[in-house]
This record gives sequence, structure tokens and C-alpha cells, in this order.
Amino acid sequence: MDQRLIRNFCIVAHIDHGKSTLADRFLDVTHAVAERQMREQYLDRMDLERERGITIKAQAVRLAYPHDGVEYELNLIDTPGHVDFTYEVSRSLAACEGAILLVDAAQGIEAQTLANFHLARDAGLSIVPVVNKIDLPAANPDGVAEELAELVGAEPQDVLRVSAKSGAGVTELLRALIDRVPSPSGDPAAPLRALVFDSSYDPYRGVVAYLRVVDGEITGRSRVVFMSNRSTSESEEVGVFAPDASPRPALTAGDVGYLITGVKDLRQAKVGDTVTLASRPAGKALPGYREPKPMVWSGLYPAEGGDYAVLRDALDKLKLSDAALVYEPESSLALGFGFRCGFLGLLHMDIVKERLEREFNLELIATAPNVEFRVIRQTEVISVHNPSEMPQPGTYDYVEEPFVLATVVTPSSFLGPVMELCQQRRGSLQDLRYLSPERAEVHYLLPLAEIIFDFFDLLKSRTRGYASLDYEHWGYERSDLVRVDLLLQGEAVDAFSSVVHRDKAPTYGRAMAERLRELIPRQLFEVAIQATIGSRVIARETVRAKRKDVLAKCYGGDITRKRKLLEKQKEGKRRMRRVGRVDVPQEAFIAALRVDQQPAGRQP
Amino acid sequence: MTPRARDEHVQPGSAGIDGSAGLYVHIPFCLTRCGYCDFNTYAGLEHLAGAYLEGLTLESDLAAPEWRDHTFVSVFFGGGTPTMLPSERLGDLLGSLRRRFSFDPAAEITVEANPDTVDGRALAGLLASGVGRLSLGVQSFDPAVLVSLERVHSPQSARTAFAAARSAGFQNVNLDLIYGANGETLESWRRTVEEAVALEPDHLSCYALTVEPSTRLGRKVAAGMVPPPDPDLQADMYHVACDLLGAAGYEHYEISNWATPGRRCLHNMGYWQGRPYLGLGAGAHSHRDGRRWWNVRPPRQYLDLLDGGELPIGGEERLSDAERATERLLLGLRVADGIPAQWLPDGRATPFVEDGLAERRGDRLALTDRGMLVANELVLAFAAGIGGVEPPGP
Ligand SMILES: Nc1nc2c(ncn2[C@@H]2O[C@H](COP(=O)(O)OP(=O)(O)OP(=O)(O)O)[C@@H](O)[C@H]2O)c(=O)[nH]1
Ligand code: SF4
Ligand SMILES: [Mg+2]
Repeated sequence: MDQRLIRNFCIVAHIDHGKSTLADRFLDVTHAVAERQMREQYLDRMDLERERGITIKAQAVRLAYPHDGVEYELNLIDTPGHVDFTYEVSRSLAACEGAILLVDAAQGIEAQTLANFHLARDAGLSIVPVVNKIDLPAANPDGVAEELAELVGAEPQDVLRVSAKSGAGVTELLRALIDRVPSPSGDPAAPLRALVFDSSYDPYRGVVAYLRVVDGEITGRSRVVFMSNRSTSESEEVGVFAPDASPRPALTAGDVGYLITGVKDLRQAKVGDTVTLASRPAGKALPGYREPKPMVWSGLYPAEGGDYAVLRDALDKLKLSDAALVYEPESSLALGFGFRCGFLGLLHMDIVKERLEREFNLELIATAPNVEFRVIRQTEVISVHNPSEMPQPGTYDYVEEPFVLATVVTPSSFLGPVMELCQQRRGSLQDLRYLSPERAEVHYLLPLAEIIFDFFDLLKSRTRGYASLDYEHWGYERSDLVRVDLLLQGEAVDAFSSVVHRDKAPTYGRAMAERLRELIPRQLFEVAIQATIGSRVIARETVRAKRKDVLAKCYGGDITRKRKLLEKQKEGKRRMRRVGRVDVPQEAFIAALRVDQQPAGRQP
Repeated sequence: MTPRARDEHVQPGSAGIDGSAGLYVHIPFCLTRCGYCDFNTYAGLEHLAGAYLEGLTLESDLAAPEWRDHTFVSVFFGGGTPTMLPSERLGDLLGSLRRRFSFDPAAEITVEANPDTVDGRALAGLLASGVGRLSLGVQSFDPAVLVSLERVHSPQSARTAFAAARSAGFQNVNLDLIYGANGETLESWRRTVEEAVALEPDHLSCYALTVEPSTRLGRKVAAGMVPPPDPDLQADMYHVACDLLGAAGYEHYEISNWATPGRRCLHNMGYWQGRPYLGLGAGAHSHRDGRRWWNVRPPRQYLDLLDGGELPIGGEERLSDAERATERLLLGLRVADGIPAQWLPDGRATPFVEDGLAERRGDRLALTDRGMLVANELVLAFAAGIGGVEPPGP
């Protein structure tokens, strides 16, 4: 294909501003999907995406679009908007020359609009500003177009206006893309260099690598080399997503498509790697991606102890379609063998857990999430991913916790409450700017631990839903943190340990002890629950002993029923975790997570 | 009998060295259905009584050849309310059973009865036909509790029935009591037990009210119309019963059963000890040689199958070794005699003995009063890891 007829672009926006719906209209206009197969947000193909109405994974699709008598090849990538999936956006950007920056006409610019704009600009992409949802009664297309023009440094009349719902303005937008997005400029004659910008695992075909071919050509029958580890394999098939995977004889410079090598080694197709040909290898690999930095950590354990190997295999496979996931084996006295996993945020964590459960038929227990701490002991720096590994006070010099640079976009009228909230969360103001007289953008340095759990909900409730939040990793700062342990019958339960700011420890300890009292069923003996810092007890609760649990009557010799009831009870017990003599239900481990999200006394 | 010798035939499935067995006969008729009751019984089905009695005879004919080598040491007419049938008919039924099965001459023969369904004449008739033990469904001496349980008789009719039984000559009478009904207080229960003791019955069964989902009570509890029984209050009530009955000289020989010396219910003991039993009638359960089976529940279906010349069996199970092991703990631990201590691995029971829930008595291990009330938990804890029952958690 003549590169001049190719346009590679992605759609980026704040969450829910209509990216996937706009992609639907592109599919319509180019007749990419048969009418009766079309459904809303067609590219959101995962069940989870459809149930939650959000995009989780970027999706590439090739469209054929006739314009001025020639057929153009448009490679579109729909990206997710949620802050947890920013890594998906940045990977997509590297496969494109242009980006549609989409803004909801009723919402205006929001925090991820800014974040994604900066990413796209830094990646050197041509940015096409578009106001969406102009059909909404509350739409303010003129005002929003002005804000957007100001942001990207364009004239308001250069901002396109569409309704992804009705399709108004979509054809104009396609034309503008052809005009404004540069065609790819790789060298078709040079040795092959193709960027692996994503991957997935197909149970029948193995690893599928998503490629953006920069230079050269790759066919369905070539010997390919993954440049990072020099591993070679035969390509079995190359093709494009149109929108379903369709084989093609070859992919050439400028194309976006996929490669199947039949490799079962899951670690081979590393996202960010460069593929070249064994027969004529490229000299230099393409710049890859910076590994994303996990924001939160949590232990994932199989509810059935025997599923450890299944979980490991599932993580390896999921990692292929979720490059941001990191994990390392760990073990817990309470939960047995599992993995400490790093996630980009709580939504990411939730999605990973749910995908593992659904796609691999697992049942998992997730421990309360925490951020990564650093313990400084003389010249030694110890990274702590699991609160129970935090050394006892007095054995180290000090502790550091991660900080983020947070951007809040809010109507100016809510600036007061927003700043108050940031202050309460140990934030320090960095910058305040006005996007327009009515809208402001504030930047705060905040401890990650303070915003990752309930901050967003509080922000929303204090601004009647108008404020939006984005944040990026900043660095580590010294903090007065302590480890709070939870003890059952005097024995610490590692999975319940948590590291919190000293000022908040007593409230946290009390809330946790109370939650556990509610969740731990009565046992044959009294169960003492304590929250401690070091050797100091900060809260205690008791679960009274169970006194009655017997089937009073054996009616007419029906022993079978009695035994079955007992077996049911046994099954219930089997699903509990035993800590010392205490049976702890799995919900208790999950509930610990909720306490973290909503420490008592801090509710709005 | 030494404890060791007794162990030999508590093994479920061993047919009993002496070939002894129990016979249960189910009579599925009641005046009305009580709100908490999920037994296989029916109000307004009395017109089937004649056919049902014939059915029992047919079933006996079919079953008898299989039980030739067994001697029945107990017979229990349960229900339902067996005394819904005229005493002559019950007498005839007993006679027809005697002709088909071999009875021990000293067999314990019990009939369950509800107040208001028996009078002096009927009781005398039962006694004359060989029934030696009467079990009266009294439930409570507090009228408010009887209303709450939706029982149709009064405390007075219970006293009257008891007096009638005594004057008819019954020397072995049991009273059934229930504790934990909605509205029943500890005090009310105490008075009920005191009144029961004052009558000087030979045997007392005190059952904690259990809410069964399929009953009227179950539905009301599910709908939030009636609170479920408070397990702590029921525990207190249980201990009141233990104290009062113990003081009055009754032996607490099974979780829910107390008896004066020599008056344990032989038939029920058979269930705990794993003695074989044959159940006749709709929904009746049987057990022999590690096989448990039960008849279809609806009386009409029961009769139809018999008309076709078939045993009216509704289902059966053969116990695996693991199930047998669980069962013998489940059953053995209900009884004050307990189980041979060597059934459990060393040390398994120690923490529970320390907590006062179990007790070593010579080479046996038995539950204390407190332990009996949490027998389910203890069986699970004891069974963990033995006989195929896995320990909870890793
Ligand atoms: N009225 C109106 N609604 C729209 C328009 N475009 C999208 N929507 C609605 O906005 C909601 C979000 O649309 P999506 O296309 O899922 O948004 P998204 O940007 O892909 O969301 P994420 O992928 O989760 O970031 C849906 O309910 C759409 O129907 C539009 O032009 N007009
Ligand atoms: S009398 Fe007994 S068997 Fe009949 S309904 Fe009442 S509780 Fe059930
Ligand atoms: Mg989307």
C-alpha cells in the first residue's frame, strides 16, 4: 500500500466523552461491520467492558475509506479514558501519527483531556481537536471549542464539531483527518522494523502480537526476530483487524496489524519490543516503552489453595493483553501461596481480578491494596510491597511513601472545597490556572495513599460531580508512617497488616477491628481481636463464643438429612481460612479493603 | 455390658451382633399443621386412613422376608399424630405387624400422641394391645407459647392427657417440649420445665425450636414478620433444662433427651447406636448394612406404588467409608456415653476438653452439656482429616 494513502490515528479523551461511540460512526461510514452485527460501542468487545460501559483495552481497527476517488487506509485505535489505563493510551500513541482529542460539549475539558493531550503532544502527534455530543441539550459547543482551541493552540474554527450519537459532522471529521494527519514516513525498502504495541493470547493460536510496521515488510512466511532478547520464530500469519482479525499476505511500512508466530512461550512477545527479519535484520531497535510503574499492590490468592498453578498460568497469559500488570510470588500464613500484584489503580486491580476469575475460572481473594513504601536503613533502601514486610519501628531510620502530582479540573466556584480536600489529604499546592473564567486547573503534590482509595468519590461529592482528577507518579518523600497489625487471639494476621500515617492509625485500627468483629463468625471459644502498632494496642474487640449449633431433633431416623446439613456446614468451613484456631471467612480479607477506602470519620 | 462390647455394635452398618432391629411406623395425619412443622404429615387427609392402614400391611408383606433374621426390640408409631387413628385400628395394626415380624417379648412399643386426640378409653385400648410407652406432644405449659407455635391444644388438655395416661396404667410416659418460640422468655420456659417435672414423667424430650425454610414459620422469618430464635437465649434455656432436670433426677443421655434410670428410649438409642431399623409408611426411613433408604413422601403415591406390588422406595444411599466415619461421630457424640477415645487421633480433642466442651470418661470421650449444644461444630472439628473429611483451610 502506498504510504501516502495511509492515516494512523487514535481517539483520546476523558472517560465517557464518546470515543468508542465515535469509533462506531467510523465503522458505519466505512461499512466495516454488517448492519445486523453492529451494536453500540462495537469495539468494546470484552464482556467486562460492555457490562461496565467503559473501554479497558485499546482496540485497533483498519477502515477503507474512499475519498477524492482514491481509497484510503485508516488505522484507528480507540483508547480507554480512565486514568488507570493511561498506559494503554501512551502505547497506542506510538503507533500513530495523529490523535483526535475529543471533548464532551456538555462537560468541557477535564483532567484526562489535559493528561492525554500532553501525552499526544509529547509523542509528536498531529492533534485534531473535536467537540462531541453537540446534540445534547446542555451542550455548549462554542464555549468548549474555545477552551479546546486555547489548549491545543488552534483557532476555534479549526475545532470540529460532531455528534457521535447522530453521526453529524463525522464525514467532515474523516476528511479533516485525511488532510491534517500526516501519512507515515517509514522506509518500505529498509529492513523490517515493527513495534509491538500490544499483544493478546488466543487459546488456539497462542500469542498474538499487535504491530505497527515502521520500515520494511513482513509476510505470513518469514523468520522473525524479537530484538530485545534475539529470540527467533516463524511467522504463521499476519493480518489486520477489520475489525475482526483478517489474514493478509503481508504488512508493509505504515501498516497496523497483527502477527501470529504460534509461539507458546508467553514471555516472547514483549510489548514495546521491535520485530525484524532474521534474513535481513535491522540495525537498531525502535524506542520501546517505559515500563509503567504500579501504583497499588495487593495480594491475589486462590480461594482454593490447589489453584496456585492455575493462577500463575492465568497471570502469565493475562499479562500478554495487559502489559501494565506485574506480579511476584509470595506466601501468607493466613492465605497460603499467591502473588503480590502491582496495578495502575483500583479499577485496574478490580478488572484484573475479575478477568482472572472469568477467563480462567478462578476464585480469588484479594488483600487490601497498598502503595509501595521505602524503608531507609543507613545506606540501604528497602522497597516494601506488602505491609506485613514492613520492619518493626526502631529498626530503621525513616520511611518514604510515593507522592503524585495530581491535576484537578473544576468549575471555579468549587475551588474552595477542592483545595480544602487536598489540604486535608496532606497535599501541597503547586499551581493554579484558569482554563476559562469558569474553569480552573489546580495541581497538588499528594501522597498517593491519600488519593488512591476514596479521594475521587469525595472530590465528586464535594463538587456535585463536576471536578475531574488525573495524577502521575512524582517521587518518594519521607513520611511519618506506621504499621498497624491486626491480631486474632494474640496472633498477627499478615494479610490484615497495613501501613498508614501515624495520625490516622488509631481511627484505622478501630475501624478494622470493628469490621472484623462483624465478619468473623462466632466460634467455639471467644475470639479476641486487637489492632496494634508495634507492641501498643490501639483497639480491641471480641467475638463472643458460639453456644448453640446442633440439630435438635432426629426425625424418624432421617440421619441422611442430618449428615448432609453437616456436610454443607463443613463445605462452608472449608472455604474459610484458619488462623491459629480461628476460622476467618474470605469476606474478611476483602472487607479489609473497604475499610481502607473509607476510614471512619472521614466520610463526607 | 462393658463399654468395649457396646462399641462393637455401635458401628453403623453392623447388623447388630444379636440381630436386633427397630421398627418405625409412620402415620401421616394431624388435626392441623403446626406452623413450625416440616414433618411428612397432612391435615384433612383422614379419609385415606383406611387405605393407608391396608398399605402398611401390604408394605409389611413385601418387606418382611428381608427381615426374617432380625428381632425387633423396639416399635415406634410416629407421625404425624398416630392417635388420629382409633385405638382399635392401631391395635389391629400392631397385631398384624406381630404376625409378620419377629418381636422381642420385651420390645419397647411407643405411640406418639397429641393432647385432645386421646381419652381414657383409647389409652386403655392401646395399653391392652401391647403399647407400653406413650409420648405426648406437650411442647409448652405457657398458653401464649402454644399460640405462638400454632398448637391447637391448651396446657390444661396436656395435663388431662397425662393424667389419663397414668390412670390408664401407662408406666412409661414421655413429654415432648420445645423451647425458643417467638415471645417465649427464659422465665416462661423455666415454668414449663417445672410444670413438666411436677407431673413426674418417666422421660422428657426438650427440643430447640428450629426454623425450617419450607414451613409457615420459615416463611414468616424470611419475610421479617417473626424474629428467628435467638441462639443465646436458646442456649440459656437448654441449660435451665439441664439444671432443673438434673436436679430432679433425670439423666441427660442425649442432646435433647432426659430419662429416669432405666427409661432411656430404646428405639431412639438405636438410631444413635447404628442399630438397623425398618421404617414403614409414607416417607419413612430405613437403615441396614450401610445402606439408608426412604419411602416416597406423598401418601397417595405411597399407596399407588404398593397397589402396583412395588416397595414404595423414594431414594437410597450407600455410605462411603468417609460418610460412615462422619456419621458414627455425628451419632455417637450425641449420646452421653460418647465414643471410644481411640476413634480420634491423639490430641485432637485436647483443646476442647480444656475448654470444657468435651470430657474423657475412662477410655471414652463424651461431650459435656455445653459441648452437646455445639455438637455440629465439634463433630466437624473432630472429623477433620479423618475418614476423608478434610481439615478447613490450609
Ligand atoms: N447524546 C450523546 N451521547 C453520546 C455521544 N457520544 C457518546 N455518547 C454517550 O456517552 C456515553 C459514553 O460513550 P462511550 O463512547 O462509551 O465513551 P468513551 O469515551 O469511549 O468512554 P471510555 O472508553 O470509558 O473512556 C455513552 O452513553 C454514549 O451513548 C453523543 O454524541 N451524543
Ligand atoms: S402435631 Fe406434630 S406432626 Fe402434627 S403438625 Fe404439629 S408438630 Fe407436626
Ligand atoms: Mg470507550
